[in-house]
Amino acid sequence: MLTRRSVLLATSALALLALPGRGFAAEQVVKIGIDASLTGGDAQSALLVKNGAVLAIEEANANKAVPGVKFEAMVLDDGTATAGQYDPAQGAINARKMVADHAVVAAVGPQMSGVGKAMAPILSWGDLATITPSSTNPDLTDPKFAQQYRPAGKPIYFRTVATDAYQGPNMANYFADTLKVKSVFVLDDTGAYGEGLANAFQAQAAKKGIKVLGRDKLDPKAADYSAVLTKIKQLNPQALYYGGVLQAGVKLVKQSYDILPGVVKAGGDGLSGPEMLTGAGFPAAEGWYTTNASPHVTEDPAIQDWVARYKAKFNLLPDDYAVTAYDATLVIIDAVKRVAATGKPVTRAAVRDAIQTAKVKTLQGTVSFDANGDIEDRVIAIFQVHKNDKYPLDDIIHQFRYVGVAPQA
Amino acid sequence: MTAADVYLQQAINGLSLGAMYALLALGFTLVYGILELINFAHFNVFMVGSFVGMWALEAFGVMPGGAQQAGLPLLGVLLAAFGITMLASGVLGVAIERIALRPLRNVRGPAAMITTIGVSYILFNVVLLALGADNKNYPNPLPAISFPIGGAVLRLREVLIWAVSLLLMGVLVWFVQFTRLGKAMRATAQDAEAARMMGVEVDRVIIAAFFLGSALAGAGGLMFGLYYNFTSYIIGFTAGLRAFTAAVLGGIGNVPGAMIGGLIIGLVEAWGGQLISASWADVIIFSILVLVLVFRPAGLLGRLTPNRA
Repeated sequence: MLTRRSVLLATSALALLALPGRGFAAEQVVKIGIDASLTGGDAQSALLVKNGAVLAIEEANANKAVPGVKFEAMVLDDGTATAGQYDPAQGAINARKMVADHAVVAAVGPQMSGVGKAMAPILSWGDLATITPSSTNPDLTDPKFAQQYRPAGKPIYFRTVATDAYQGPNMANYFADTLKVKSVFVLDDTGAYGEGLANAFQAQAAKKGIKVLGRDKLDPKAADYSAVLTKIKQLNPQALYYGGVLQAGVKLVKQSYDILPGVVKAGGDGLSGPEMLTGAGFPAAEGWYTTNASPHVTEDPAIQDWVARYKAKFNLLPDDYAVTAYDATLVIIDAVKRVAATGKPVTRAAVRDAIQTAKVKTLQGTVSFDANGDIEDRVIAIFQVHKNDKYPLDDIIHQFRYVGVAPQA
Repeated sequence: MTAADVYLQQAINGLSLGAMYALLALGFTLVYGILELINFAHFNVFMVGSFVGMWALEAFGVMPGGAQQAGLPLLGVLLAAFGITMLASGVLGVAIERIALRPLRNVRGPAAMITTIGVSYILFNVVLLALGADNKNYPNPLPAISFPIGGAVLRLREVLIWAVSLLLMGVLVWFVQFTRLGKAMRATAQDAEAARMMGVEVDRVIIAAFFLGSALAGAGGLMFGLYYNFTSYIIGFTAGLRAFTAAVLGGIGNVPGAMIGGLIIGLVEAWGGQLISASWADVIIFSILVLVLVFRPAGLLGRLTPNRA
């Protein structure tokens, strides 16, 4: 008869049998955390980012990039149903999950700055480095805020994108120098990223002599922005600048098309996602300027075979932040490789130090970081949504027409 | 735009919002009037209604970004879409009552109200998991006709919202005032026990209240989609909370109160956004609610109290 005791004995025997097997394992499993806002208003952009990281991991395994190491992705979603977009509280939970799993040696993400602010202190205490492909709020790497975002001391928040300290002001320069805009109304979506970007834009715009006629905030969960848009119409600005992501962005683009025709409209990288085409769509999105805090490379002939590999694997076109996510993962894989080559154990601390000194050839060029974790090459690319009938209407590469690099402050 | 134009435009904006809130508020008020139950599932019946409306329109060949229609075909499609949406939403409301609330009818305390919150989240998550989190583009057959009034613009979709809301509210008032079932509803609202003794089938009355309220919410959901050109699993909460506020502001359980409350909330949201800031909309709305309740605890028009004359 099967007693509780016999079951216990059998399981312990099995466990004993299983134990030696682990010693013979040829490969060490190294996990790379991936955190993006896969639920909610930015889900499609998040998928592109996540795919970029997954692709790099799978290619590293296929090519045996690091002998004796098998990489595994730990994909976490920081978007929640109740927030309808990214949720910092969920980001904190995800950060704890990564820190709790000792196989995780580094992470890619998060996608959003608001989440980054919640994750950074947890990652810092866990000594776990993360490389964000798209969160651009400057505070996260600013030594002024070291107490908040890296309380354990060493920088753990690296970026393969520039920050809003460039993205906002450089767009303001473009407004003043190229578009000759004289007056602007500024909106944000109350998020950490949106507010910071709008502030940075507004400060530089004022410095450049553009008259800032007003500033207001959009509730991303609200459906109706007609009241604030009517107010803007009355002030009659030449341009509108929006700092924020797509949950509010898509509704703003749709409603401002009706209420504010003829106004120059622009936003940051929060608008450069597929939802701009699939959610807002034409004709509403036509003419909107957006920026990316990274060089524009998805149309670069040199990386077209990568674009083809991405498309073949996921049946989606990558955007520039799929590139920065891929690049971030390459940096981590390179760091693990360098640690493994020294013969030392692949630990979080060792990988963090290796990332800090990285000099890795990636799709966007050679990536290296300054002492705070920021990427050293800071490029802001400007795009304008412009219907191109030769390509599908949701073609993320060709419906955003590349305008050029934004003038540096 | 002159200042007068701006106020007119914001009134147009606010009345459109308010008409939608009013339709939703009626559902809270009908159910509360009869069961003294705040039905939070109503939030997401509205949301489901907007999806049903989307499918109904697509079933008639209207696609997102597709061609606009005019004349009789447009009228026919809209009538059919409203009919299907209201019927489906009404049935959903009745099903919620039958499955989740009737077993709790004689349970004292907040059990039933908590259950409605649970049902609300079930609807919310089912739609999220089944249909995904992204905003769905709404099929819209309405031609982009607009009428300039001075510097303000009145669009066809606003006219449509007002017309449909007025019509539905008119039908509801007529129903409650003059039909047998409507009279039974009022009798039950005044005193369920006495109504039962007089031969009113209270179960039928409750089913009618859920059906009517949910059908109106469904119509509101369809109008939401036509007005904003999108729908999403998340739209129920903001609209539902404002509509609930409208119902309380007007006097919960009171049908004209819900309509007036809805319009006031809509206008406050629009003018508040103009005069102060859009980001303060909720603060303004709820401050007004608190003020009204301090001075008139039963709401502007008062609870529907038993007429003991």
